[in-house]
Amino acid sequence: MSDRSKIGQRFAELRGEEVVYAIHRQERTFLPARDHCPLDATRPGEGRAGYQTEIPFPSFEIAVFDNLFPAFQAPHGAAEVVVYTDDHDASFATLAPERAEALMWVWRHRYAELGARADVDYVFIFENRGVEVGVTLHHPHGQIYAFPFVPPVAALELAADRRLGGCAPCALLERELEDGRRVIHENDAVVVYVPYAARWAYEAHVVMREHRPSLLDCEPEELRLLAAALQALVRGYDALFERIFPYVMAVHQAPTVGASGAGAAPAGAETGRGHLHVEFYPPLRTADKLKYLAGSEQGAGTFISDTLPEESAGKLREAIERAA
Amino acid sequence: MAGEPVEPPASGDPTEIGQRTRQDERTDQHERTGPVAIARHVKDDGRALILYTRDTRART
Repeated sequence: MSDRSKIGQRFAELRGEEVVYAIHRQERTFLPARDHCPLDATRPGEGRAGYQTEIPFPSFEIAVFDNLFPAFQAPHGAAEVVVYTDDHDASFATLAPERAEALMWVWRHRYAELGARADVDYVFIFENRGVEVGVTLHHPHGQIYAFPFVPPVAALELAADRRLGGCAPCALLERELEDGRRVIHENDAVVVYVPYAARWAYEAHVVMREHRPSLLDCEPEELRLLAAALQALVRGYDALFERIFPYVMAVHQAPTVGASGAGAAPAGAETGRGHLHVEFYPPLRTADKLKYLAGSEQGAGTFISDTLPEESAGKLREAIERAA
Repeated sequence: MAGEPVEPPASGDPTEIGQRTRQDERTDQHERTGPVAIARHVKDDGRALILYTRDTRART
């Protein structure tokens, strides 16, 4: 287990936010050789005798384990790794539809179990794809940070609920459907659009049509359609520039603060308190140019975008159709 | 011992989350989430490992 003394947080007064220190993460595995991937199944007799991966089984479908280099650890949260498949060369985009649907159930299970803990206020499921966003292991996987506090982005979304007088994602979805120019994919349960005020050139939001605070509130068919929409988007991303498209995928759900105590407010119980949606932040602005967070973004907190969301949406819509 | 199955953690107080997870069934022998079977293990260093396998017999 990791040395907890190496994990801590400090409050940055000027920004009004927590900064987490996990010093041991400097030592984490960094782009290992293909035959030493710690997220592969452990397959003795393939020329790497003695090498045991994180998953000591000869095969598996989906695996979740405690991160060896956690940013959070009990009794102050948790950090888990979610391995989508034992196929090292696969990706979320290439998973069979049934596997992608199963992944939604795994996310749901982890949200329920971690969110019920007294030391967890927010369950954040995410995937970093590509070295452009700091990936250190290429094997298809995501992560879960179970925060011991509600992080700033989740708090901003709750503030947007208050500002708009109800569920902000519900209101924004209605606006996007009414406008229509930025909608890039739809099915019976999910709408995908480039948001009106996208910060990244090809940012996209995958939003449940009905008000669903979390995965726990979804019907099984909605989970299937969520997986289908996510795969359609990621396949469209890969088709856009005919290359593996890097992104950060962030699953936004209701905070779980108070969910463990008798009489406490349950997650998502208040109207508008969280609405399940998945946000994608791809750093590419062209096939070979990255958007960097520089002076204005870091020093002033204001994104300067080189592209119009309506134009990006048109290109992404076409790419999704081409990849279907 | 890596690979040894372990009992799932005991349930806590009944909560909204707990009530909404009843689609996730648990018996002494089998635990699942929707159509996915759950197998819990503990790695050699004490970290938890959960393997999820789609149960083609289960209906969602």
